[in-house]
Amino acid sequence: MTDNNNPALHLLDASLTLNSNTGPVEILHGISLDVRQGETLGLVGPSGSGKSSLLMLMGGLEQATGGTITALGQDLTVMDEDALARFRRNNMGVVFQSFHLIPTMTALENVATPLELAGAKDAFERAQAELQAVGLGHRAGHFPAQMSGGEQQRVALARALAPRPAILLADEPTGNLDEANGAAVMDLLFGLRDRSGATLVMVTHAPELAARCDRVIRLRDGRIDEEAAREAAE
Amino acid sequence: MNAGRLRLAWRFALRELRGGLKGFRIFLACLALGVGVIAAIGSIRASIETGLSREGATILGGDAELNFTYRFANENERAWLDRNALRYSEIAEFRSMATVGEERGLTQVKAVDGLYPLKGAMDLAPKMPLETALAGAEGLPGGVMDRVLADRLGLQPGDSFRLGTQDFRLMAVIALEPDAAASGFELGPRTMVRTGDLAASGLLAPGTLFDTKYRMELPAGSDLNTLQAEAEGLFETTGMRWRDARNGAPGIASFVERLGGFLVLVGLSGLAVGGVGVSAAVRAYLATKTATIATLRTLGAERQTIFLTYFLQIGALTLIGVGIGLVLGGLGPMLLGPLIAAQLPFPAVFSIYPSALAEAALYGVLTAFIFALWPLARAERIRAASLFRDAFTSRTRLPAPRYLLATALALAALVGLAAWFSGSAQLTLWTAGGLMGALMVLLVSALGIGFLARRSTAASRGRPALRWALSSIGSARDGAVPAVLALGLGLTVLAAIGQIDGNMRRAIAGNLPDVAPSYFFVDIQRSQMPGFLERVGNDPAVNRVENAPMLRGVLTRINGQSAAEVAGDHWVVRGDRGITYAAARPEATEVTAGTWWPANYTGDPQISFAAEEAEELGLSLGDTLTLNILGRDITGTITSFRNVDFSTAGMGFVMVLNEAALAGAPHSFIATVYADEQAEAAILRDLAREMPNITAIRMRDAIDRVSDILRQLAAATAYGAAATLLTGFLVLLGTAAAGEPARRYEAALLKTLGAPRRQILLSFALRSALLGAAAGLVALAAGIAGAWAINAYVFETGYAVIWPNALMVVSGGILTTLLAGLVFAMRPLAAKPARILRARE
Repeated sequence: MTDNNNPALHLLDASLTLNSNTGPVEILHGISLDVRQGETLGLVGPSGSGKSSLLMLMGGLEQATGGTITALGQDLTVMDEDALARFRRNNMGVVFQSFHLIPTMTALENVATPLELAGAKDAFERAQAELQAVGLGHRAGHFPAQMSGGEQQRVALARALAPRPAILLADEPTGNLDEANGAAVMDLLFGLRDRSGATLVMVTHAPELAARCDRVIRLRDGRIDEEAAREAAE
Repeated sequence: MNAGRLRLAWRFALRELRGGLKGFRIFLACLALGVGVIAAIGSIRASIETGLSREGATILGGDAELNFTYRFANENERAWLDRNALRYSEIAEFRSMATVGEERGLTQVKAVDGLYPLKGAMDLAPKMPLETALAGAEGLPGGVMDRVLADRLGLQPGDSFRLGTQDFRLMAVIALEPDAAASGFELGPRTMVRTGDLAASGLLAPGTLFDTKYRMELPAGSDLNTLQAEAEGLFETTGMRWRDARNGAPGIASFVERLGGFLVLVGLSGLAVGGVGVSAAVRAYLATKTATIATLRTLGAERQTIFLTYFLQIGALTLIGVGIGLVLGGLGPMLLGPLIAAQLPFPAVFSIYPSALAEAALYGVLTAFIFALWPLARAERIRAASLFRDAFTSRTRLPAPRYLLATALALAALVGLAAWFSGSAQLTLWTAGGLMGALMVLLVSALGIGFLARRSTAASRGRPALRWALSSIGSARDGAVPAVLALGLGLTVLAAIGQIDGNMRRAIAGNLPDVAPSYFFVDIQRSQMPGFLERVGNDPAVNRVENAPMLRGVLTRINGQSAAEVAGDHWVVRGDRGITYAAARPEATEVTAGTWWPANYTGDPQISFAAEEAEELGLSLGDTLTLNILGRDITGTITSFRNVDFSTAGMGFVMVLNEAALAGAPHSFIATVYADEQAEAAILRDLAREMPNITAIRMRDAIDRVSDILRQLAAATAYGAAATLLTGFLVLLGTAAAGEPARRYEAALLKTLGAPRRQILLSFALRSALLGAAAGLVALAAGIAGAWAINAYVFETGYAVIWPNALMVVSGGILTTLLAGLVFAMRPLAAKPARILRARE
């Protein structure tokens, strides 16, 4: 499926408009963008600029209302919810600011879940190995509520990376962590990504984190800030 | 659906269930209560049915019985009895007046022979053998009677009383009559004497109304089917009726079956209210699971996996709730067995009845399925995007067509099962339609109440507590829907029962005495008629007297075919009916079709039939009917139909024959006397003195008996409705508990803005009271509409609102909602605003 000559993500004139009780709200306007395979891309911009929405479009978590979004050569805009779910479980990992671990499952079960969904027979062995990789092998039987924020985010990282996804999407992964924990998680994230060679798209407010990416795109009012892009290019 | 996906969903479901049952207490309570009530009703019904069947011979007083109207068995019949029974006992039963000086009481006399009772034993107080009691003392034959009659007549054992013209010595009162249940509904308490001692009483003269029963003790291994077929074949034309130990008390058995079926339907309405609670609980649970579901979607879970994960969880919880209900409903009647048995006039065998429990379990599972499916179906629509954007999530879309179809099929299965188990498809369909209609009315009304509340907030400016209450009722989040649905259905059932019962009792006890006669006099001999008419006709307090010759007969054939085959179970062909004759058309008679026979007609027998009953039986002019009267067949042709009004309790005969057809048969007369209430006692005294053989049935006493039975039926139904209301209260508690976080936040905000606790509490109380009043009013309207429809179309009686009941329903609604609301208002009021608001950030 993967072809190194094709971009991992290709967005053409993608837009997103949502209906609210007060009428339609335009979130993203005509975003066109390519992300190369293996590239790390930082998405920055002020609150409400549409960074997270763009990330969700890339992950098929949100359906674009205009334009096309292609991931690994597959057009996400023509897939239904179940097809998108199957595509994600085979090709994508997602890390959230709020971790979103399933509170009724242990760390091990959380990490094993995407593997179980993909039908992996050795889901729990692989999940245990992933937990070891993030330094939490000894916490496998603990529930999220019994872990610190940093530990929870490390479990979330293990869960996102367990199926060996080609694309890793991270939405402000250190936003809910203190500085020390945030730095540790970022080291882990980039370290694991380097090992797997996955394409990483990361939303962040922190310039120093964005600086660790190969490329940074700034968003403003639902559009790519061309001026910032030009400045960056110069 | 593949097995792998099912296994995965089951694993996920088990992981979720590890969290315990905390959010499911109301869910489990609703199901357990609904299933428990139905299981208990079914178990009690099965206990009584088993008791009746196991004790059939004792209840009947023999292994089998031949029954005749108006006469004793003839030689052929006795020969058959001698041939087939080891021994048989002869019993004659009739209504009469027991008199002591000036005091008289209607009594159901049972005249027995020396073999009575063939099965079981009489229990007398003071203790003595029946034989000794009936032998009498001090030169008088003996008699025993029910304590209620002895007390009414002021009799003690040793005193004397009179039946007809024969005096008896009361030797004891009856503590237990083993075959009492076999007699069914009777107007008078029992007096028991020897048949031989009645010879001089004038009470068993030809033409008087009496039944005879020949109770047989059969050789072991006798085949009841064969014997019944043989007896019916031989004596079909003599008016013989067969009964045996397989169903010793058919009246009670069918009454218990019907009442049980009806109460199960009332129980189902409780389960429907529980279903509202199930739906609310599943909805609330899934609301807490939105993030988990969205996370699973992000990780690649397909919709079916999500649906199955939660379907299996709710399924497991349903089985737990149903299981608790079955334990309660199965064991409850067993533990309370001795108490229940003491209240029943017939035997019951309390045990675990798997069929009753299976019925309740099926209802529980189907109800949970129907009410949980929609929220579950909506869960699979939760998108991964919900993790960061729930404001735009649609909440109101209908589930996918497959779920609508599954709901419809489950509903059809539930109604079909209920119809099958209750034995009345019509009643079940009415109940199901009524419940669904009531739920729809309640839902629409609740939405209307929300709309009105929103519109009224402007008018409540300056009264902040009221405005907050109205805003809360009008809000999309809390709203009126949960409370009105939870409480409304229980209150609707209670309101409808109260209105139907009140109107029925008003029709019988309130209006009927005004239009019904004061007395029915039966067994007046032809020779006594002139004296009778002179006494009542010359009394200025008597407004009207009607009389007619009276015979009893069985309609055995219609156009030569067996009447039971043509007319099924219609009441006219069930047992014997009063039949009269007339030479000319009585003045008040309104012929609707055909022509009355000419005066002094002496040709082939002609019959005038009641028009409404004829239509129900599908009879036409020219049809022939065969009546068995006193063992003789009389076949006549229907030549007219006429209106007969049975609703006034006056004299009404389904069949009138021309005089020549019946005048030769031995018979007596029946008369109705309409008199002022103050004159009733004097009329009875005079007539009883001059004509001791005639029996007077005081209509006010008969109406009281019927009213008593109706009151007991209404009480049984009200217990069922109370369970419905209790379920509604549980649902309301669940709704209030689910709303507690919102109340806490609301209270914290209001406190921050300077509202004192008293004002916040007032706002919460107003909210609950307004919702309760609204639920009560909507339920009352629905209950009144339902009661009106049932009174108008089923019972065909007039209708008027019973206001005390109506006010109880509305005030009950207010009190219940207030209670549930205030229970969950205390913690929000006590909470510290800073902690609540910080946690919300």
